[in-house]
Amino acid sequence: MKSCMKKLIEILILILLSAAAEAQSRFPKPDFESGYQYPTFSYAVPGETLWSTVDVILLAAMMSVTAWAVIRQRRRTPVFIVSIISVLYFGFFRSGCICSVGAIQNVILSFIDSSYAMPLTVFLVFILPVIFTFFFGRVFCAGVCPFGALQELVNIKNFRLSKAVSAALGIIPWIYLIFAILYAATRSSFIICRFDPFIGIFRMGGDAGMITFGGLLLVASAFTGRPFCRFLCPYGALLSLFSRFSIWRISITPSCISCELCHNACPVAAIRPPYENKVKERRRDGVKRLLAYLIFLPVMALAGALAGRMASHSLSTVNKDIRLYRQVAQNEVNPRDIQPVDVEVFFSQGGTVDELEARAAKIGADFKAYSTAAGALIGLVVAITLINLSVKRTRKTYEIDHAACVACGRCFGYCPQNIKHQRTNDMSKKDSIRVQGVGK
Amino acid sequence: MKKYTASPISRKRFLQLCGSIAAGTAIAAVSGAAATQAIRRRSADYFWQIDPSKCTFCGRCEKECVLTVSAVKCIHANKVCGYCDLCGGYYRANVKDLNTAAENLMCPTGAIKREYVEDPYFEYTIDESLCNGCGKCAKGCNSFGNGSLYLQVKQELCKSCNECKISKVCPADAIRRVARGKAYMLKDA
Ligand code: SF4
Ligand code: SF4
Ligand code: SF4
Ligand code: SF4
Repeated sequence: MKSCMKKLIEILILILLSAAAEAQSRFPKPDFESGYQYPTFSYAVPGETLWSTVDVILLAAMMSVTAWAVIRQRRRTPVFIVSIISVLYFGFFRSGCICSVGAIQNVILSFIDSSYAMPLTVFLVFILPVIFTFFFGRVFCAGVCPFGALQELVNIKNFRLSKAVSAALGIIPWIYLIFAILYAATRSSFIICRFDPFIGIFRMGGDAGMITFGGLLLVASAFTGRPFCRFLCPYGALLSLFSRFSIWRISITPSCISCELCHNACPVAAIRPPYENKVKERRRDGVKRLLAYLIFLPVMALAGALAGRMASHSLSTVNKDIRLYRQVAQNEVNPRDIQPVDVEVFFSQGGTVDELEARAAKIGADFKAYSTAAGALIGLVVAITLINLSVKRTRKTYEIDHAACVACGRCFGYCPQNIKHQRTNDMSKKDSIRVQGVGK
Repeated sequence: MKKYTASPISRKRFLQLCGSIAAGTAIAAVSGAAATQAIRRRSADYFWQIDPSKCTFCGRCEKECVLTVSAVKCIHANKVCGYCDLCGGYYRANVKDLNTAAENLMCPTGAIKREYVEDPYFEYTIDESLCNGCGKCAKGCNSFGNGSLYLQVKQELCKSCNECKISKVCPADAIRRVARGKAYMLKDA
């Protein structure tokens, strides 16, 4: 039965192929007598090269301005202006692609797939924010990223989520990042691009579901700071790593009077209040705790790896070739009169089941390996989050959690000491100008 | 004992330093790897195009593009066209009367303009503002005619998505990236 089907299909292919070969020459080229001229169409490419250069230059310039504003000037106004420019230019004018968030996938793909050549601008769009974050904290997130800027601009109120809830939701960006890498590395899909909630808003059209989601996120970000950045953005997760170890960074006003105002103003709950850890831990207990972690971490990683391995079959459904293979296989077992379009086209283009099977097996093996690794990483992330929640450290002053701080500069406007400082600075500047003027 | 518990700050600083070094190394490593790659594979492909020899006019291009009206349009390669009176892309198969009533026409939006040139030739032109990229005409032309009507991603409409959504559902694997220098895969080029 099976071989009979195969024969039939082969004959079908032959007929189709010969038909395709003929297609170009069914009718001869007309020879016109009336002096008819063929119309000419021009297929010009818009100045994409120029624009992507402008993108990169603007990106670097806007991040530099932000770094200067939040580290040297300690003012929010320039950040605010940068946000508006970003939403207008990167958001509405350039309408999204390529963005730094999605570029993670291109970078991963270019390392895995030697046939994919990544344009230089794409790499710069990915690496520049990482470099700036390493030097100055998340100045990209402050207002250069159109997604962050948009959420920042609509934010009016700042309802706090409890620490446990934000920690739990804070795991999502890591899982998202890990899955994005998994699917990019297996050449299956760019899920960050597919599930981008804001691009539909910037393009003013597109997938209705994603636009609705984007709208809901914006409504949410009116009442709590940057929900997308905190609980979804995979690039934010990556940047938070570099920000944690950044070299020059935003700081609490040195003459802090512990008034708590900045803590309340921060949209992403990055300012930690002073805390006194009453329970003094003995050294023995400390060692015990460390040992417990050393067991807990690998156990979680292992559990994650197992779960990932088991899920790899369903995870691989996203891959087009795997889907096609499953359809074809199903068709082999249980042939239908009308084949699905994909199956029909596959055979009409001369594809053979064996070749497809080999391809699917290879992708399946890739998925198995990558899903295992992804599961292990997710296990680790969960474990580390739990450990972080349980650890309490003594803080003598207000401290900025640089991983979370998006360098928006909101806290500066609330800090009475910072305002006072700037007033006196401005005064002395004016004074010195006046003095110089008098001197002349 | 005192010695070990004395300075939590310096331990924090030390960890911070280690982290910074690791982060810096990571950036340098990734940049280095990307640079060597850029040297190895010179030209990067950037624009999405349909390979006209692969496309089967399945109709997904109309539906799957992220834009409300697809960036894929029908293109007419006049130099391939037979200028037939009975155009397989213009008329539906088995129509009774060859007139321009909508029920006889292949194109659901009436985007194909037909103009008499000389006996027995007719010129067909696509009005791109009406075309929705459904590929019905192209399918007709490819099965009954010279295949001069075909689908292509129009660069001035296409957003050059990081990953063309259509490419992930195209049954023929016809959508791929092309280099900046030759951003159109044309049949009569
Ligand atoms: S966290 Fe993500 S979305 Fe938010 S500003 Fe940073 S890069 Fe943009
Ligand atoms: S700059 Fe200040 S307000 Fe903004 S995220 Fe950082 S700590 Fe919070
Ligand atoms: S999805 Fe692929 S086969 Fe279908 S019309 Fe578009 S390019 Fe052609
Ligand atoms: S790249 Fe995007 S805009 Fe262009 S054809 Fe594909 S889905 Fe449509």
